[in-house]
Amino acid sequence: MKVLIIGGASGLGAALVADCTMRGDDVHVIDIAAPVEANWHRHDMSSADPAAWDATGDWLATHGPFDLVVLSAGISATGEFEAIPLPDHQRVASTNLTGPIRLTHLLVAGGFLRPGGRLVFVASLSCFTGYPGAASYAASKDGLAGFARALRPTMRKHGIAIQLACPGPMDTPHAARYAPKGASPKGRMAPEQVAHAILAAPARRFAIIPGAGPKLAAVLGRIAPQTMTRLMGRILFSKLR
Amino acid sequence: MVWFITGASHGLGLEMVHLLVARGERVLASGRRAVTELPADFPDCAYHACDLADPNAVARLRDWAAAHGPLRATVLNAGAGHFRPLTQETAQDIDTVLAINLNANITLAHGLRAVLSGGRLGLIGSVAHKGAAGMPVYSASKAALDGFGRALAEEWRGDVRVRVLHPGPVATGMAERAGRKPDFADRLFLPPRITAAALLRALDAPRGADRQTVSFLRVGMHRLLRGTT
Ligand SMILES: NC(=O)c1ccc[n+]([C@@H]2O[C@H](COP(=O)([O-])OP(=O)(O)OC[C@H]3O[C@@H](n4cnc5c(N)ncnc54)[C@H](OP(=O)(O)O)[C@@H]3O)[C@@H](O)[C@H]2O)c1
Repeated sequence: MKVLIIGGASGLGAALVADCTMRGDDVHVIDIAAPVEANWHRHDMSSADPAAWDATGDWLATHGPFDLVVLSAGISATGEFEAIPLPDHQRVASTNLTGPIRLTHLLVAGGFLRPGGRLVFVASLSCFTGYPGAASYAASKDGLAGFARALRPTMRKHGIAIQLACPGPMDTPHAARYAPKGASPKGRMAPEQVAHAILAAPARRFAIIPGAGPKLAAVLGRIAPQTMTRLMGRILFSKLR
Repeated sequence: MVWFITGASHGLGLEMVHLLVARGERVLASGRRAVTELPADFPDCAYHACDLADPNAVARLRDWAAAHGPLRATVLNAGAGHFRPLTQETAQDIDTVLAINLNANITLAHGLRAVLSGGRLGLIGSVAHKGAAGMPVYSASKAALDGFGRALAEEWRGDVRVRVLHPGPVATGMAERAGRKPDFADRLFLPPRITAAALLRALDAPRGADRQTVSFLRVGMHRLLRGTT
């Protein structure tokens, strides 16, 4: 099976690469840094450089089509919205949303997804709970969710499953970087566990929410979205400001 | 106190400006087209032309609006999109739609926070935020705006009232310009003036959810109870 992991050099992406390599997949990676072991291409998802995107398109044409693509690369910016420098917000939006849409456009228009395959967007539990204290991040992840939902019926006709992974807090360098100062890593899920849930998910399922705690939070967020966001404000945003 | 409205040169934004000026409010209006291209009956109010796809122009618009503060309310209403499958999109258009519908609004909200203190911020989304198969990129941008407003409403609660308002299909001609072929469903599209009134009312109301759908039910109720204002 031919696999492509965007953001495969660290965190959840690296865990996916390790898992796929172990089960004997032919693994490919796009990242800004070198992955542990995989055929890889350097590309910054926030890039606005047409030449860089052309090169990425050529690389996909050479190495595709893929049976499984996971878009896992992402950054955040946490704190009071107005206290975060504007360029940071814009970088979050382009790395987490514009870039993944551009890459998906290359994959779909180029026919680099094999029928019977899966395309997985890594969003966040914030799609269900809201995320005060990370407004641009929440925007980017909800944007991915809206994009995935819109794309799903069309892609299904081509035999390609579109899925949305919504992990809660993970024990990765990303979480350590953006959590409130002094927050305990207890209760953060191991990226290996999330990677496993993504790889094991049946293609007919849309939202992949690993873990019992995050599943519960997602249900509550569906039933009472605003209450859940207010709760997030109390327990999280109050510590970030 | 002043209102600031983007996308005010046509459609819902233009209708909002008509309603506000008739109500005696001072309005700062912005749109992409030049002043000379505005409709002949454009209300008497300040106008700043700005292409929201250009970050430098957005920064100038932000400074212009901030200089007229404090603002009683800001309605970030401008929006654009294409009705077509992903395979027919272009890289350029993907960038542009996201720049107008998301990035520009992030810049404006960020820069206007101080002059909005005690006021309101309305973000005009779309029911497509739930994912409309015919327009995946537009859906993404409006879903992102929804998540943005959801977070911001909580962060600014108690000082700036933030609401994301999602209109249903409105007969402003936007759908045709976006590439959708008119069909029988067009006759059901919402009337722009009353939809604009319902949106303003949803933003004005002291109580209400942070994110609201303003479609057939809401607009119908509005027409029934208050007519066109
Ligand atoms: N019409 C619908 O069915 C519908 C449904 C749901 C949500 N919405 C949303 O409601 C809002 C208003 O829609 P509408 O129907 O009134 O649309 P419209 O009639 O097409 O008007 C759009 C407005 O946005 C401005 N605009 C577009 N691109 C711009 C750019 N690059 N820079 C600056 N301004 C730009 C336009 O300026 P110029 O005309 O000067 O170019 C115009 O004033 C949009 O956010 C739209 O997404 C519309």
